[in-house]
Amino acid sequence: MSVAQAVAQPVAVSRRLAIRFRPSRVVLNVVLILVALFWMVPTISLLVISFRPEGLYGVSGWWTVFTEPSQLTLQNYQSLLGTGLGTGGILDSLITTALITVPATALVTVIASLAAYSLVFGKWRGRTAVFLVIVGLLVVPVQVALIPVAQLYHAFGNLTGFNPYGTLPGVVIFHVAFGLPFGIFLMRNFYTGIPKDLLEAGRIDGAGEWTLFRRVVLPLGVPAAASLAIFQFIWVWNDLLVGLVFLGGNAHHTLTIFLYSQTRTLAASYWVIATGAMISIIVPLAIFFAFQRYFVRGVLAGAVK
Amino acid sequence: MARVALEELTKRYAGGNLAVDRLNLDIADGEFVCLVGPSGCGKTTALRMIAGLEDITSGRVRIGEKVVNLLPPRDRDIALVFQSYALYPHMSVYDNMAFGLQLRKTPKPQIEKAVKEAARILDLERFLDRKPGQLSGGQRQRVALGRAIVREPAAFLMDEPLSNLDAKLRVQTRAEIARLHQRLEATMIYVTHDQVEAMTMADRIAVINEGLLQQVGTPKELYEQPHNRFVAGFIGSPSMNFVETASHRNGKAELQGEGVNVVLDDAQAARLRDRGLEAVVVGFRPEHLKVGEPGGPGLRVSARIDVVEFLGNDELIHAVSGGRDTVAIVEADARLAVGDTVSLWAEPRHVYLFDPQSEVSLGGA
Repeated sequence: MSVAQAVAQPVAVSRRLAIRFRPSRVVLNVVLILVALFWMVPTISLLVISFRPEGLYGVSGWWTVFTEPSQLTLQNYQSLLGTGLGTGGILDSLITTALITVPATALVTVIASLAAYSLVFGKWRGRTAVFLVIVGLLVVPVQVALIPVAQLYHAFGNLTGFNPYGTLPGVVIFHVAFGLPFGIFLMRNFYTGIPKDLLEAGRIDGAGEWTLFRRVVLPLGVPAAASLAIFQFIWVWNDLLVGLVFLGGNAHHTLTIFLYSQTRTLAASYWVIATGAMISIIVPLAIFFAFQRYFVRGVLAGAVK
Repeated sequence: MARVALEELTKRYAGGNLAVDRLNLDIADGEFVCLVGPSGCGKTTALRMIAGLEDITSGRVRIGEKVVNLLPPRDRDIALVFQSYALYPHMSVYDNMAFGLQLRKTPKPQIEKAVKEAARILDLERFLDRKPGQLSGGQRQRVALGRAIVREPAAFLMDEPLSNLDAKLRVQTRAEIARLHQRLEATMIYVTHDQVEAMTMADRIAVINEGLLQQVGTPKELYEQPHNRFVAGFIGSPSMNFVETASHRNGKAELQGEGVNVVLDDAQAARLRDRGLEAVVVGFRPEHLKVGEPGGPGLRVSARIDVVEFLGNDELIHAVSGGRDTVAIVEADARLAVGDTVSLWAEPRHVYLFDPQSEVSLGGA
């Protein structure tokens, strides 16, 4: 591989230089940049609005900022974050969302990896059938399960005294349950590409199943696990429906519920929505850029191999 | 180090396919045994049963004095070198070799000593920090060998370890494995489909075909006294020529086949008479054919040259008589040309006779 790369690189460089001067390439790039800009207009407008004074929203368009940069102010952020950690504030929502998202992501990644290991490298009958059932579960929409799961939670509460409904664990469990089919699907497809010889070599070297999983399969599956974690993180972070239903009367809200509640009043506070949205975007954006290397590799891997 | 014994070892797959059929083989401590046969003959399945990677349908595998049928691979004290090398891609060369020892809770200084020693033997010292992906095929192969060596197992199992290397590297690594065997004095069981590898490295060779053991013996025994037509054709390169002959013309000990005439010596004639055979299959090796006519008893081929392959010192000749191809190796200065009709002959001791039904050798030769 290293030899092939060493040989291929100079060729690729000279090719890239040649391509740069081709007119069709320039046109293509211009078109792509225009499309990307067009796509980003709503986000950019949101960003600009969040930095303009609240009173200007109904007076002038956000684009006037380009001719009058003096409009820009941190005032919105100051007043939104100024409420501190009080229940119902944006920082409280941020923490609540994190408390749901982090365990839901970690659990799905770990459980899906373990399940996929068993489905691919285990030696029990009916592995394929179980996998097909899991693939079938991929198409079950969330809203179908809302009422049954809520009833299940209440029944569980009557039985044990702990009713997950309206609690953070209740929301986490729901997200894990609905994240697992895709998680197992992704991890299983990736693990199928790991040569069986590697595990046999490990068995002869003295590894038991747990060691094989931890020392051989898991490290090789990092790209897939990372992309699964990113997917799951962003889904749960952006979830409104499950939080809305299963947090019930809980005083702590997720970020999406916080933003949603601002639109319900007759006079929607656009400055809060814009500023809150920017704050809620920051975390997934940071996660994405931190792991995008794995993300791209993980999504492609398994498909090509 | 230990002896390895296979007793009536059998593998039948769920579909009823019999991969290995009552294999009996006793491998002495420190012996280098090759399991050789065409692809799909069951040799790899046999090896995997010894390693514990494949369930045993019936029969026994003994390593040392212990029956290991039910032991998992890690408790069998064996090392396996895979055809694909199966190196852990995420670990450095050092860790690849140390992994087995780490899992066995060997003390760190001891691991380091063992890995360094193996790296020295295999000339891998410069690469210990690299990942397998940064190594060439030959280097990876040596890492795979190193991983086996550091464990100091009771037996080394090798599954076609050279077949992913190019021709030159293969010859080089072949010598390296032979040296390694002498140095470690370890029991080695080596699976290959390449009879040249088997001939050059093994103390003894076990030829397997369709799950059945055909013959076990030293390379010389297999070459000189093949037990049946399959072994005769499999061992030796290029392969032995075979021709079906009808016998006993005019009561004389003479066989006649397509383009071939054999005058038997007394011993051969007696064996044929004892078995009451009217027809036999005659085999003769390309390297035993000479240009010219036999003086007394012996085999004579008359054929038209079809293809001449120049090998340097020798020439490989394909000659046709009727619909039958004869291959011969002759000295290059014989100056044979395509289209020539040539007479070739072989001494009686180089003529093999096989029963046409059972294909078993009639002995002698």
